[in-house]
This record gives sequence, structure tokens and C-alpha cells, in this order.
Amino acid sequence: MSNPPDPSQVEGERESELVARAQKGDRAAFAALVRAHQDEVYTLARRLVGDPHLASDVAQETLIRAWRALPKFRGDSKLSTWLYRVTVNTAWTHKKRAARHRASPIDDHTEIAAAPYDAGAPEFAGEILELRGRLRRSLDRLPAAQREVVVLKDIYGWSHAEIADSMGITVTAAKVRLHRARARLVKDLEASA
Amino acid sequence: MSVVCELAAPFVANSAVDGGEVMRPFRVHATTCLKCQARHVAMVRIARQLAAMEGDRMSAPLDLEWRVMSSLEGDLALASSWRRPLAWTAAIVSMAAAVLIWRQRPRPVS
Repeated sequence: MSNPPDPSQVEGERESELVARAQKGDRAAFAALVRAHQDEVYTLARRLVGDPHLASDVAQETLIRAWRALPKFRGDSKLSTWLYRVTVNTAWTHKKRAARHRASPIDDHTEIAAAPYDAGAPEFAGEILELRGRLRRSLDRLPAAQREVVVLKDIYGWSHAEIADSMGITVTAAKVRLHRARARLVKDLEASA
Repeated sequence: MSVVCELAAPFVANSAVDGGEVMRPFRVHATTCLKCQARHVAMVRIARQLAAMEGDRMSAPLDLEWRVMSSLEGDLALASSWRRPLAWTAAIVSMAAAVLIWRQRPRPVS
């Protein structure tokens, strides 16, 4: 008797099939990919830019860019990893645009802590829930450039080189920002405790 | 709280997140200072929570898929290798059409 196939492998195969179809212009296949990844893209966008409306625009533009760039996607990395990169670049473009028009909403946001997180996870309980709430608020209070580095390094596990590359800064600058961001995070959490 | 604690703070934080030792100039201080040790412990917890946040998902706006898909209307799914030749062809064809129209303009009989 053969073993049942691994669900993640099946999912991966189904996804690569959808990607192949979308690369040939199949919009229904792309819509399925959008449905599968829109929450991930939006979550990262929200963490990077803070403001929910801006994050929604970033997520929309990311997915449109993804459609246009999909023929170039060779499948070397997971689709979600590739989408994360597109999201970071798009958020960066939005940030520069917002800075040009100044009334940047990037730093005035307070709603992120109330975002609808998946409360089904077992770690969402008592003290940890409280710590995460404080952590989100502290992250939110970091300057945008520092927050981006912490989000990409400490939440998504990117390397300094990947961060530097996607943000158009040097590796040293990325390390310095992370340095400052973590110090600030610790102080902010101490103050809010 | 001493100035040294403040200076050591980012290095203590980095050590807690990366799992390595505190950088040399502050190593001795960090191992003997209760404040820095408490910060280290706090940062280890923070790092764990930050890493665990990767799995958290916020729900995208309900109309996001619709907005994306409707933006793609009229957007041809062309391979990037085709885009440039197609743009050149379109430019040449429109130039030729313009020359043809110009040559067929009514001219005064001399």
C-alpha cells in the first residue's frame, strides 16, 4: 500500500501548475494565486507601511506588478518569497512617493494592534497575547526605516544582504538601522511595561 | 541606570536575537550587570515573539482580489521578451502610417 501524498507537496504542485497557467495569461489561475497569497502580501505591507489604507494600495499594486512580472518568475524560490520581495519594493516605491508629497501617513497609524490576527493559534493566550500587543504597538512607533529592517530581519528572517539589496542601502547601513531599532524597541517595551 | 548599560543595550539585544555573545567591549559588563541580564532575557522573549509573528495573518480587504483583477482588464499577459519587439513594431507601423498619410495629402496643382 502506498503512503498518502504530503499535503504541502500537493499544494506546491498545484501552485506551480497555477503559476505555469498564469504565466501563459490565464487570469483564472492568477485569481486563484491572488486568493491564496493576498493575506500574506497584505500582512507584510501593513507591517511595513503601518497605515491600513496605504497597505491595501501597496498590496494591490504588488499583485498587479506580480502579474506583469510573472513571466520572469522562474520558480527558483517559493512564490510567497518572490511576492514578499515584490511587496517590499512596492512599499518602498510608495514610501518615496509619499515622502515627495509629504503628508505621509506612514508614521501616523495606531490601528495595527487591533488588526484581525488569527486568534486560533495556541500561543495567543494571556501573557504572550499581551506581550505581542505591546510589541506590535512598539513596532508601530518605530520610525519607518527602522521598522522595515526589524520586520524583515526579525519577523521574516531575511539576511542583512537581502534587506540591504531590497532597500537600496549598504549592508552596514542595514546593520546600523537594525542595531538602533532593536535598542529602541527594548527601551520602548521597558517604558510601556 | 548607568551609561554603560545604555551603550551596551543594542549589543545585548543583538546577542539575544542572534544567540551569540555580547560584543567584546561590553561582554564583561553584560555578564555582571543585572540590568543588562534582565534586558537580555526580555529581548530573547521579544525575539521569539517577533519570529512567531511571521505566521500571523491579517485579513486582506475583501475587495482586494476584485480590485486587482479588474485592474488587469485590458492588460495583456505578455512575456517581457515580447514587450520590446511589440513596442518597436507598433512604433514603426504608426510612423509608416503617418508618412503614408502625409504623402497622400492633397497638393496644389502647379
